[in-house]
Amino acid sequence: MNAVIVALFMIGFTIAAYIGSLRLYRKHRRIYTTPVIVATLVIIVFLLLFNISYETYMTGGKWVDRLLGPAVVALAYPLYQHRDILRKMLVPIMTGTTVGALVGISSGLLLSKWAGFSSQIIYSIVPKSVTTPVAMSISESTGGVMPLTAVFVMIAGIGGMLIHPLVMRYSGLTHRIGRGVGMGSASHAIGTAASMERDSLEGSISTVAMILSAVIVSIIAPGLTLLLL
Amino acid sequence: MFKDKAIIIPIQIAMLYLIYLAGKGIQNLFDLFIPGSVIGLLILFTLLSFKLVPEWILQQGVSFMVRHLPFFFIPATVGIISYAYVFKGKGVLLIGIGLFSTALVMAMAGRVTQWMVKRREEA
Repeated sequence: MNAVIVALFMIGFTIAAYIGSLRLYRKHRRIYTTPVIVATLVIIVFLLLFNISYETYMTGGKWVDRLLGPAVVALAYPLYQHRDILRKMLVPIMTGTTVGALVGISSGLLLSKWAGFSSQIIYSIVPKSVTTPVAMSISESTGGVMPLTAVFVMIAGIGGMLIHPLVMRYSGLTHRIGRGVGMGSASHAIGTAASMERDSLEGSISTVAMILSAVIVSIIAPGLTLLLL
Repeated sequence: MFKDKAIIIPIQIAMLYLIYLAGKGIQNLFDLFIPGSVIGLLILFTLLSFKLVPEWILQQGVSFMVRHLPFFFIPATVGIISYAYVFKGKGVLLIGIGLFSTALVMAMAGRVTQWMVKRREEA
């Protein structure tokens, strides 16, 4: 009985932390007020303050975790909504995201390998360019650590959002379709949000690239990892 | 047809869960590395594209999940408390590697796409 109450409390606390951080984000739109970051920090501080282990938290958290799978399935819908752009620009978008997937996997893997990190860390950095739920599934199936992957995904997302004006200037990325593919392939949903604020076509392309990239990376990551490691 | 969101959204999420389970089943059956969730995504995209499933059957639940996608990975992200030590000392390098690799992906994916689009526009 006690365990059930603890689990329910953890679920309730997670929902409350999310809703609270969402409200904060609506009032103060900043990179550091991104809801996942604020909610995660609030929960971590709470756990540390009351000396609660991650395992105890996860007795409730695992029920939220279980919905990650269907949440990824749901991404089929925005892809379907943008099917007209997808059809018209299929070849450039597909080629661009495939190049992005290859570059992202191999550069992350090789650089961390050359720096001498353990294979567990390397497996965790490999899927960093794709949206968190998919990255975590890839990490899980190749032997990475899911929470570490979540951090690398955040680095790719938030980092990409911060450095993209510089990257675009120095790489001569001026076309809206090219920018959208670049943002979606490199910085998933966070990049897509930044694209959406600038231009709705760029944002839509970024959405499509983000979802395609998730599919492509999950298909090629296991094989490419074996090949390069 | 349906009015009450509190009923319709959980039902539609349950339907998404079934598609996810189907994807997971296919993954296990063929011993694939592709996550079951991504196979589920492809199944749903195919069902929608061939009009085998009308949009309204899933629309509210799907939009709800997509809008609140970050919520579903909060518990996994909290797991970083067990791995914070990875980023100490030499681990700081990992942040640099992540950033550099991200910039590379953005520039390369974007440039390849831009080159192909411009060539098409000129043709």
